Amino acid sequence: MTSMTLDLHEDESRRAQKAADRWLIVGSILMGSLVLGPLGLPVFCRGIYLLHKAQTAGLSVRPMMVTLIGYVIIIDAAINSIGWGLDVFANHALITRTIFTAWGNLMDGGYFWHYNELWIGGAGAPGEKSWIIICIVVVFPMRIAAGIAFLQMRRWGHQWMIVTCWFGLITWLGYIINMTMYADVRYAGVAFPVIGWWLYNIFYITPFLAIPYLHTVNREIFSD
Amino acid sequence: MTENELPVGTTPPFARMHRWLKRGLFVCLFGLVIEGALTVPALALWYGWPSLSLTEICSELMKVRYSDDSLDCTQPYPLSGPPFGGAPEGAGQQTARDQWGIQPVPQYPRVGFRELVRIHDEREATDSR
Amino acid sequence: MAGRNGMSEQDRRRHRALIVFQIVVYGAMVAMFLVQLQMFFVKDW
Repeated sequence: MTSMTLDLHEDESRRAQKAADRWLIVGSILMGSLVLGPLGLPVFCRGIYLLHKAQTAGLSVRPMMVTLIGYVIIIDAAINSIGWGLDVFANHALITRTIFTAWGNLMDGGYFWHYNELWIGGAGAPGEKSWIIICIVVVFPMRIAAGIAFLQMRRWGHQWMIVTCWFGLITWLGYIINMTMYADVRYAGVAFPVIGWWLYNIFYITPFLAIPYLHTVNREIFSD
Repeated sequence: MTENELPVGTTPPFARMHRWLKRGLFVCLFGLVIEGALTVPALALWYGWPSLSLTEICSELMKVRYSDDSLDCTQPYPLSGPPFGGAPEGAGQQTARDQWGIQPVPQYPRVGFRELVRIHDEREATDSR
Repeated sequence: MAGRNGMSEQDRRRHRALIVFQIVVYGAMVAMFLVQLQMFFVKDW
């Protein structure tokens, strides 16, 4: 291969990658907004399709799994951050008060029981505020930063994705154990106790799906 | 070119694992997005919208959680409220029914599908009488 | 390092470790779910 064809190949690969990423990023932003989510999904899927097409055409683009894990982990963290951010910083807005207490009454009493009675407002269930604050201040920002670097195929991105996804393990298990300790507060008087919460939240296990990949992917594909 | 080309970064021993992880991730993505979008409409419907306005739903839920029919959602809530130091809307309430102890047990009644509408209408009827 | 049989010893160990990880994590979550479910059946929620 001459250096000119190599350059051409690199150029074309870069353009294809950028084109796919444009759709993926816009799709992710829309999905992060929750309400515009269904619009974001087809936009995101078009990005996946473009990436897949580039891959089968032999261009050197980011591997599908890296793309998927990177974006899904970021979207997961973003959706959580928005929800919990509202609980800490906007707990007296009408939409927050109504939707959160409604959700709480339907599935998780932690968001209904004495809601907005704590000095800081928001959810008052024992232990809940600690988990919320540590997550939106430390866990999710770190996860999003790692996700972005991971999508850029950087070595530190790959390493920190591993770290932040293991954080996710602590968060998940710690959070559930806390709920179980105070199960009465979380589930008494709720429309769909236990089943409602689990069915709703099971989709947030994305870090657990990422960890096995992160530990078995060939590290050489990450540079810098 | 081999027929079964592996994705970049995936070695043969882990190809099957990666494939299943990919499927799981797609399921999670679709799940998160769809339920994220359906949450607000589903809650609104369950709690009486559009028969009740958002503020009315807020007030009704407040009455249930603090077991006090005189409470209402102040709308708009002053910006000086939490987290900027002001008092939260539930501050100083004394009417909430709980079995207190190291493991509190709430005592409020469950709210069924659109039950808030019925509760609200009944109260309006008795109030106007 | 890769054996001609496809999987190196390190790969085999890694594969097994990750299977164990998944069993432990999902097992812990299922256990928590079952604990909560059991509480649901016993208590008056």
